[in-house]
Amino acid sequence: MQGKAIVPAALKRGPSSRDGLVLLLLAVPGIAWFAVFAYGPMAGLVVAFKDFNIRDGIFGSPWNGFANFRYFLTSGDALTIVVNTLFLNALFLSASLLAGLILALMLNEIRGSLYRRFMQSTIFFPYFVSPIVISIMLQVILSGVGGSGGALNNLLSVIDLPQPSWYTEPGAWPWILTIVKVWQLGGYTSVIFLAAITSISEEVYEAAAIDGASRARMALSITTPLLLPTLGVLLVLGVGRIFFGDFATIYAIVQDNGILFPTTDVIDTYVFRSLRTIGDFGTTAAIGLFQSVVGFFFVTAAVLVQRRFHKESSIL
Amino acid sequence: MSTTGYNESLLDPHAREARRETDKPAARRRARRRPEPFTIVSYIVVTLFGLFCLIPLWMIVAGSFTDETVLARQGYSLFPSPFSLTAYELLFGGQSLLNGYVASLFITLVGTILSVSGTATLAWVIARRLPWISRPLTVFAYVPMLFHGGLVPLYLLVTQVLSLSNSWFAVILPILLAPFLVFITVSFFRQLPEEILDAARIDGAGELRIFFQIVLPLSKPILAVLGLFYAVTYWNEWFMALLFVSDPDKYPLQLILQNLIANVTNATSLPGATAAEAAAPVYQLRFAMTVLTVGPILFAYPFAQRFFVKGITLGATKG
Repeated sequence: MQGKAIVPAALKRGPSSRDGLVLLLLAVPGIAWFAVFAYGPMAGLVVAFKDFNIRDGIFGSPWNGFANFRYFLTSGDALTIVVNTLFLNALFLSASLLAGLILALMLNEIRGSLYRRFMQSTIFFPYFVSPIVISIMLQVILSGVGGSGGALNNLLSVIDLPQPSWYTEPGAWPWILTIVKVWQLGGYTSVIFLAAITSISEEVYEAAAIDGASRARMALSITTPLLLPTLGVLLVLGVGRIFFGDFATIYAIVQDNGILFPTTDVIDTYVFRSLRTIGDFGTTAAIGLFQSVVGFFFVTAAVLVQRRFHKESSIL
Repeated sequence: MSTTGYNESLLDPHAREARRETDKPAARRRARRRPEPFTIVSYIVVTLFGLFCLIPLWMIVAGSFTDETVLARQGYSLFPSPFSLTAYELLFGGQSLLNGYVASLFITLVGTILSVSGTATLAWVIARRLPWISRPLTVFAYVPMLFHGGLVPLYLLVTQVLSLSNSWFAVILPILLAPFLVFITVSFFRQLPEEILDAARIDGAGELRIFFQIVLPLSKPILAVLGLFYAVTYWNEWFMALLFVSDPDKYPLQLILQNLIANVTNATSLPGATAAEAAAPVYQLRFAMTVLTVGPILFAYPFAQRFFVKGITLGATKG
């Protein structure tokens, strides 16, 4: 009772309704943005069920039921782009996580030196390079000036190996793109793992050292198992987004090179191209809605799994 | 009490502390004398990966200083010879580069200011745990992370409803707020010491005063993280520009680059085409343009890097 009396009135009553109103005012720009740019497009999805034309607009165009969906699902492209999206994302995810994990374990061996900080900065930098710049880099390596043979082929010619014309070899591209992803995300992922490594108690390693464990044994039997929860979180987040292709990187690299579509075309690039070249808003919106719905189940499942096993890391 | 000194030192925390103090340097000295195989392998692999990250970028820099005819004849080399500034002279002589920088700077500066303000204010209202407001707002900002309308409705919204075609705001607005960053900011705000805010309330400070004069100054680290993440996103953004900006005079740098890739042989689309017409060194120009586009990020990187590390570390544990 007495303790309560000491608390000043200003604190006891909590935020008054006037305070609430003032604060709500503060949030108005954010609320307005979400309403227009996040929820607006959701309402615009009705286009997927319409025979859209610019003159009648989004809500005036005539309905056409599921015709747009039928057109897409029977076009033959549907299976290819869905398979590509899942396959490429699975490759990207596993390769970048593996690279990040190995890099973190190895960076951890380089102790307390300037060299370590320099290397960490170096391998983190590609994360900030824009997809367009990556695309130009890749052309330097794979095609060269006027297709005269890039840096890689020059290297291959020295050791007498065949020099493929890379931009006409669809089979090679899932792997080329995976290497690009490792280049782009390896350092970034390793930073996350390294942060987790710093929270591991030094005493565990001292005990292992006393028992005569080598550094390699410690990395394999102490650090790696203790990094599994972090790996799990990143894996779940990645699987949640597996239905959404990395549009920016893939489109910047492949552009409109049709030869490579069979192995590189994902849902996002397909939607963009249909919008730009065919201009069929109804069908492209239908594909987008299909992606959003399937994607929703993946994301929600991922969030639920994450909350189940790793409560403290979930946002809500 | 134990009889042997050895056991005693194991049980006594102070003795153990002291032992560790003396052991550590010894262990380190030993490690320095004969590094383990795994450590050696680590140095080699990390160094190779570092080179793997740098060499492609360096090749572009070298290419931008190499004469186009030499590039075509001898292919790429790591050191430009003969040294040529042709591409840079063309770029700095033409109007496109300047236009591109103006566009990119406008989008990055205005975008970042709007994004950080929008994110911080919304995040504070959510973090404040107001009855009837914070909880619904959380859901309101969370749902778009699970489900979104997709490209076509956004395209129609920006071009038909808002009529923003050819405006730089068409690049800024669709990516103005990142729900993920809003929630990272919320979790930062919730860790602020409650006592300071209470003290201000006792002194009669209103909600706005508390936010602007106490919360924001205490939140400089997270504001820096937000600003940097948004700034890099805006600087690298080209997809929104590709969709909504068709007037070449308004192209940001990334879109100029995108056009240089898309029209390899089309010399008229090159910046500096007026000066060089068909003989323009297409590739050398591309590389020079790339260097000038990545340049500002590379320049800011040493100062900004630790904030990024902080940001993604927060993201990994909170998101």
